[in-house]
Amino acid sequence: MAGTKPRGKPKPKYKALSTGGTNGKKSVTGRGAGKGGERRERHGPRLPTALRRELDALGTGSSRGSDEDEEAGSDAGGGDVYEYEEGVPEEEAGKNGRYDAVEKYEYEFDSDGSNADENIPSDEGEDMEEGDAGEGEDEEKQIRILQETTGMPREAFDGGKRKKQSLELPFHPGVGDGPVTIHDLLNNIQDKPGYSKIRKRVQQQEKKPMVVQPPLPKMEREKLERSVVYQESRKEVTKWEPIVKRNREAPTLYFENDVNLGVNTVGAIASEFKPRTEFEKKMAEIIQSTEMMEAHKNDGAKILELNKIDVEDVRERQNRLAKMRSLLFRHEMKAKRVKKIKSRTYHRMLKKDKLKASSADFEADPEAAKDYAMKQEFKRAEERMRLKHKNTSKWAKRILKRGLDIQDEGTRAAITSQLQQNALLTRKMNSTKDDSSSSEESSDDDEDDNESEAKILNRGKEKILKILGDNNEIPTSGVFSLPFMERAMKKHEEATYEEARVALEEYDESLRKLEDDNTEENVDSVKVSGKRTFGPVKNTKKETNKRQKLDDADKNSDSEYESDSAQHLDNNEVNKADDIQLGTALLDDEPQDDLFNSIDNIIKNPGPKTIFEVGMLADNSWKKFNSSKGNGGSSINGDTNKSRVNATSMPDQKPKQLDHNSDSDSEEDMVEGLLTISDTRENYKIPSQADLIRQAFAGDDVEAEFEKDKMEVLNEENPEPEKPALVPGWGQWTDIQQKKGLPSWMVKEHENAKRKREEALKRRKDAKFKHVIISEHVDKKAEKLLASNLPFPYTSKDVYEQSIRMPIGPDFNPAISVSALNRPAIVKKPGVVIKPIQYEEVDPHEKPDEPKRVIQRAVPNPNVKKTSAKQAKGIASNKRK
Amino acid sequence: MPGAKSATDQKAMEVGEKEAMDEMEKKVHKYSRGQAANLGALRDKKLKGQLAAREKLYGHSAKAAAQAEKWFLPTERGYLEPEGLEKTYRFQQDSIVQEVDILSSRKAFDMILPLLGPYTIGYTTNGRYMLVGGRKGHLAMMDMLNMELIKEFQVRETVRDVAFLHNEQLFAVAQKKYAYIYDRDGKEIHCIKEHGKSLKLQFLEKHFLLASINSFGQLHYQDISTGEMVANIRTGLGRTDVMRVNPYNAVLGLGHAGGKVTMWKPTCVKPLVTMLCHHGPVTAIAFDRGGHLMATAGVDRKIKLWDLRKYEVINSYAARAESLDFSQKGLLACSNGSQVEIFRDTGSQDYKIYMKHRMVKGYQVGTVLFRPYEDILGIGHSMGLSSILVPGSGEPNFDTFVENPIETSKQRREKEVQSLLSKLQPETIMLNPNMIATVRPSRKKEKKTKKEIEDEMEDAVEAAKNTEMKKKTKGRSKASKRAKKREEEVLKAKRHLMEQYKENDGRPDKKQRVSDEVELPKALQRFAKSRQ
Repeated sequence: MAGTKPRGKPKPKYKALSTGGTNGKKSVTGRGAGKGGERRERHGPRLPTALRRELDALGTGSSRGSDEDEEAGSDAGGGDVYEYEEGVPEEEAGKNGRYDAVEKYEYEFDSDGSNADENIPSDEGEDMEEGDAGEGEDEEKQIRILQETTGMPREAFDGGKRKKQSLELPFHPGVGDGPVTIHDLLNNIQDKPGYSKIRKRVQQQEKKPMVVQPPLPKMEREKLERSVVYQESRKEVTKWEPIVKRNREAPTLYFENDVNLGVNTVGAIASEFKPRTEFEKKMAEIIQSTEMMEAHKNDGAKILELNKIDVEDVRERQNRLAKMRSLLFRHEMKAKRVKKIKSRTYHRMLKKDKLKASSADFEADPEAAKDYAMKQEFKRAEERMRLKHKNTSKWAKRILKRGLDIQDEGTRAAITSQLQQNALLTRKMNSTKDDSSSSEESSDDDEDDNESEAKILNRGKEKILKILGDNNEIPTSGVFSLPFMERAMKKHEEATYEEARVALEEYDESLRKLEDDNTEENVDSVKVSGKRTFGPVKNTKKETNKRQKLDDADKNSDSEYESDSAQHLDNNEVNKADDIQLGTALLDDEPQDDLFNSIDNIIKNPGPKTIFEVGMLADNSWKKFNSSKGNGGSSINGDTNKSRVNATSMPDQKPKQLDHNSDSDSEEDMVEGLLTISDTRENYKIPSQADLIRQAFAGDDVEAEFEKDKMEVLNEENPEPEKPALVPGWGQWTDIQQKKGLPSWMVKEHENAKRKREEALKRRKDAKFKHVIISEHVDKKAEKLLASNLPFPYTSKDVYEQSIRMPIGPDFNPAISVSALNRPAIVKKPGVVIKPIQYEEVDPHEKPDEPKRVIQRAVPNPNVKKTSAKQAKGIASNKRK
Repeated sequence: MPGAKSATDQKAMEVGEKEAMDEMEKKVHKYSRGQAANLGALRDKKLKGQLAAREKLYGHSAKAAAQAEKWFLPTERGYLEPEGLEKTYRFQQDSIVQEVDILSSRKAFDMILPLLGPYTIGYTTNGRYMLVGGRKGHLAMMDMLNMELIKEFQVRETVRDVAFLHNEQLFAVAQKKYAYIYDRDGKEIHCIKEHGKSLKLQFLEKHFLLASINSFGQLHYQDISTGEMVANIRTGLGRTDVMRVNPYNAVLGLGHAGGKVTMWKPTCVKPLVTMLCHHGPVTAIAFDRGGHLMATAGVDRKIKLWDLRKYEVINSYAARAESLDFSQKGLLACSNGSQVEIFRDTGSQDYKIYMKHRMVKGYQVGTVLFRPYEDILGIGHSMGLSSILVPGSGEPNFDTFVENPIETSKQRREKEVQSLLSKLQPETIMLNPNMIATVRPSRKKEKKTKKEIEDEMEDAVEAAKNTEMKKKTKGRSKASKRAKKREEEVLKAKRHLMEQYKENDGRPDKKQRVSDEVELPKALQRFAKSRQ
C-alpha cells in the first residue's frame, strides 16, 4: 500500500503545513501516514466493517479519530475537526473481507490550536513533521524531495528533525500551565480596534457545543444524496400527474393554434408602413402631398391633370434610353467578338491587362486590395495545411521512391512544377510576413503596436457613440408599442447606455494609458524589450505634444474615413437612383405602348363584333328556344300521341289471344270481363276442390304431426347415437362371450353419447316449448356479420354489447349531439404544430364537465418549443394510444 | 276561498308538471335504447372512463331527442271518443265521415267494380299510391292524395297478388303463370319466370328483395336492383298463399295448411322458427311494426296474438278472419265475410274490439290493408274496393327522410338513390337484427377447418422450435444433435395435427389411385394430353 503512494505526496503536505501553520488547524489522512507514522498494532478483535460502522454510529460522542482505533489518550482535544479529503477506499472499508486488513496510521493535529506551539517551527520555514519517527528510508526520501523542491541544503531538514525530536518531549505531556487558549492570544490584542468583535465571536462559539460529526462514508453519503435527489425529482414529476391524468381521461384533445395573430389585414399592415429608404421617402412625399390628397379626395380627374408629362421630358428620356440601348448593344457585340478570338497571345495579354487593372484598382481601392489579400492568405493557409503540392501525394512519393533520375522528362517536369508551385505559395507567405515584420522592425515596434491598439480602441469608441446616438429609435407600433414593452425598452436602453458609457470611459482611460506608455516607452525603449507589461503606470510623465499629435491624427483619420464613407455612400446612392430610374424607364416604355395599343385595338375593334356576336347569340338562343319549344311541344305531343295510341291500341292489340288454358289447380276460369258476366259472388264462394280437400283433412292431427316434425328436426340437428352392436361373428365364439353381451366400454360410450345428446336438447331454445321449433342451424353467411371474438379493451360480452346498442349516426341522433358522438380522440388541423405539454395548475379533484379541452395555448418560450417539438409529438402519440 | 283556489291551482300545476316530467322520462328512456352496462363491475379503469363518457353523451343525446320530439312530432294520433254508454264499435262510417274535416271525409269511398273482382290492394310505403288488382286481370294504380287514376289496364290473366316495389314507379304482379313487373305507365318491364306460378308477393324495401311463394311451396328471393336470384328455397310444406313480411327484421312468415307458421330468411334453407299456431290451416298472418307481435288466424275460428320474443300466445280470440293487418299505430284489422273488425290495444296487449264495419251483404272481403300515414283502411272485396276511416290507425307525423307521402319527383329520385346506397345485404336478415356486430356465440366444433388446422400446426411448430434445450455435457449438445432433436420435437408436435388434417381432407389417396388407373398403354401415351 505504501508503495502505491504517489511520490509527490509529501510535497503538498509540506506546503500545506507551511501555509497552514498560521491556522493551527491541520489534518492528514491515514493514507499519507504510511510513511512517517508510528506503526501500531490494532488491539481487540477484528470486527466486520458493517458492525464497526454501527458502533461508530452509536458512539459518536466519544472522540474517535475515524473508523480506526482510538489514538493515544494524549490527544486531549475536545472537538476534533477533520477535513475530509478522500472517501474511504474500498480496501480500508474492508468490503466483504476482500482486502487484507492493513493498519492505519495517522497524524492527529489539534484543531483548536491547543497544540499550536507545535506549529511554530513551520513559520520559520523549517520542517516540522510531527510524528516523524518513521523509518530512515522514508526519511531519506522525504528529505531528498524537500531538498529538491526547496533547493536548501540537506542539513537544514536533518537538523530540523533532530531539533524537533528533542523538542517533542515537553510538548506532549503538556506544559505545566496548560495549553495556550484563544483567550491567551486575545489578551495580547486587547487594545486593538477589532478586538471586541473578535471576542464576541469567540464567546459565541464557546457557548455553542462544538461537536462535529465525522463525515459519513462515501457510499452512505451518495445514498443520501440519491434519496434526496429522488425526492426532489419525484416532486417535480408528480406535479405533472394531474395534467397527464386529465389529458388521458379527456375524450377528445384539441391541438389548436392561437388564432389571435394581432394585425393581419392588408389595410392594417399598410397603415403601419413607414418610408425608410430614400426612395420610399420620396414616394411618400409625393403621395402624401396635399395636392395629391386633395385630388384623391375630390375625384380622380385632377390626378390625371397632375399626371401630365412634358413633351420635352418624354423626348429627352426616349433619347437617353435609345443611347443606353445602343451602348448596351455595342458592348454586347464587342463581347461576342472578343469571345470568338482564339489567339492565345491575345488572351494572355488580356489577362495581364486585367491583372494590371486590378492591381491598379488595389492601389486605388483599399477594400478590393484587402479582399484580394484575404483570398491570397486563405490560399496560402490552405496550402500550408494540405501540403498538396509538396511531395506528400501518393504519386509524388512513388516517383521519388523510384528515383527521379529514372523518370522521363514529363514526370520530372511535373514534379518540379509542383514543387515550384508549393515554393511559390509558401514563399509568398513568407514574403508578406517578411514585409510586415521588416516594416515593424524598421519602425518602432511598440509604437506601431500601440498605434494599432489605439485605432482599435478608437473604433470601439466610435461604435459605442454611434449606438448611443442611434438608440432612440423606438417603434411606435406593433407589439413594441404596448406600454409595458415600452417601459421595458426604456429600461433596457438605459442599461445599455450606462454600459456603453462605462465602456467609453474605459476606452478613454486605456487610450490615455496607451499614450502614456508610448511616451514612456519612447523614453526608455531600450529597457523594455521582451514582454509588454500591463499594470499600474509608475511613470507619470506626459508628453502633451505627442498626445495632441496622436489625437489630431486620430481625428484626421476619423474625419477622412467619415468623409470617404459619406462620399461612397453618396455615390452609391446616386448610382442607385440612376439605376432605378433607368430600370423603371426600361420597364415602363414598352408595356405602356403595348397597353395603349391593345386598348386602342379594343376600342377600335370590338364594337361591331360584339354586337354581331350578341346578335348571333340572341338569334341562336331564340332559335334554340324556339326549336326546343317546338321540339318539346312536338315531343310532348308525340309522347302524348304515342301514349294515347298505346293506350288505345293496347286493348286492341291481341283481342283474340285469350287464355283458354285453365288454371290447373283452381277451377275458376279466366273470364273475359267485357264479354261474359258471370255470377261473381257464387264463383268466389265456392272454393276449389283442392282447397276443400285440404280444409277437410287438414286439422286431423296437427299436433302429432308437429311433434313428429320436431323430433325429426331434433334428430337431424342432434343425431341420436347409434346403438352399440358387434360386427357379426365377432365376440360370439363361445357361450361365455355371448352371455357377457356387449363390452362395457361400448355400453359406456353409448350412454355418454346419449347423455350428451339429451343435454344438447335441453340446451336448445325450444326445449321448453312444445309447439315451437327454433332452428339451431348456424348461418355461415350471417356469421361474418358477427364479431369472432371480443374486441380488445372489453373483457365482458355484456359490456361490449351494451356499448354498441346506441347508433351514433346522424339519422338517429339530434344534430347537437352527433358531432360530439363522432368526435375523434385528437382534433388537429393540418399544419398546426403540436407544442410540448405545458405545466398549469389543475385541481386534481375537479370533474371535467366540458367535453372540449384545448391542449395548447400561447407559448411563453419559443426556444423551448423548438427543442422539444419531437417530445411533444411523442406525448401526443402516446395520448392517441 | 281565493287562497284555496290558488292552492288547488298550484296543485294542478304541480300535477301537470309531474306528468310532463314522467312523459319526458318515458321519451328519454325510449331514446336511450336500453340500459347502460354495469360499469361498476369493470376492472379496466381506462375503459370504464371511456364508457362512462360515452354513456354521458348517449344520455345527452337521448334527452335532446326527447326534447326535440315536441317539435318534430307535433300531431297526435286520432281517436274515437265515446260518451256515456256509447261504444266505439257502434259508430257507423257515415257518422264518422260527417264529423271529420272535409279532406279526410273525401278519403272514405266505395268503388263498385263488379266484373273483375275480387280485388287485392297494395300501398306504397309512403301511403300515397294504391295498387288495385282484380282477380280477372284488372290492374290499376291510383294516386290517393289527389284521388287520381294514374294507370289502369287489363292483363287478361288471373291476377293473384300485386305489390309495389321500392316506389310507385315499379310494381310486381303475380299472374297466371309468372310474376311480372310493370312500371307506372303499365309497361311490362320484366317477366320473372324463375318464380313460377307465384301466389303471393312481398317486397322487402330495405333489402330490395322481391319474395314470392309459388304453388309448389317454393320460396324465391330476388334482388330487384341487380336481378340476382338470391335464394330459392323449397319449403316442403305444401302450397300456401299466406305470406307476410315482418317489417322489423324482414323475416318472412308463412302460414301453412298444417296449422304451422314458419319464418324464413334467404340465407337459410330451413325455417328459422316453426310454430304450431292453429289446429287447422292458417288463413292469415300479420306482423306488428315493432316486430314482436304476430297475429294469426286459422280455419279453426281462432285469431291468435303471439309474442315473438317468447313464442307464446298472448291472446286468443274466437273469430274467423280471411285477412289480417296491423296498422302503423298497432290497430289490428280482420276481415270476416263481409264484415271488417278492428281491434285496439287497450293496454298490456289486451286487444279489444274498436270498430266494426259491415259491407253490403254478400260482399266477400278479400284483403284489408291499412294505408300508411293515413287513418284509412283499404278493403278489397269481391265487388270492388272501399276505404273506411279508422281514426288513430296511421302515424300522424312523417319523417321526410324516411317516407314522404307528399314527395315530389325530385325527392323521389333522391330517395331512390339513397335507398339503393343504403341497401342491406340479404344475410343481414335475421331474427334479431341487433345481433349484428355482437360476439359470435361460441360453438363446439366437431371438425376444424383446414385453415384452422394449418394455423394451429404453425403455432405448434413455432413453439417446438423455440423450446430451450438443456445444456448437456459429453457432446450431447452438439449442434448436429441439437438440430436432430429439434426436428424430432417439431415432428412430434405436428403428428397429431397431420392426422386431423388428413381426416379433414376426406379422401386423401383416391386421386392418386385414379391417376394410376388412367395410365395408358405405351403405344397410346403419345396421344395423351400433356403428359408432363
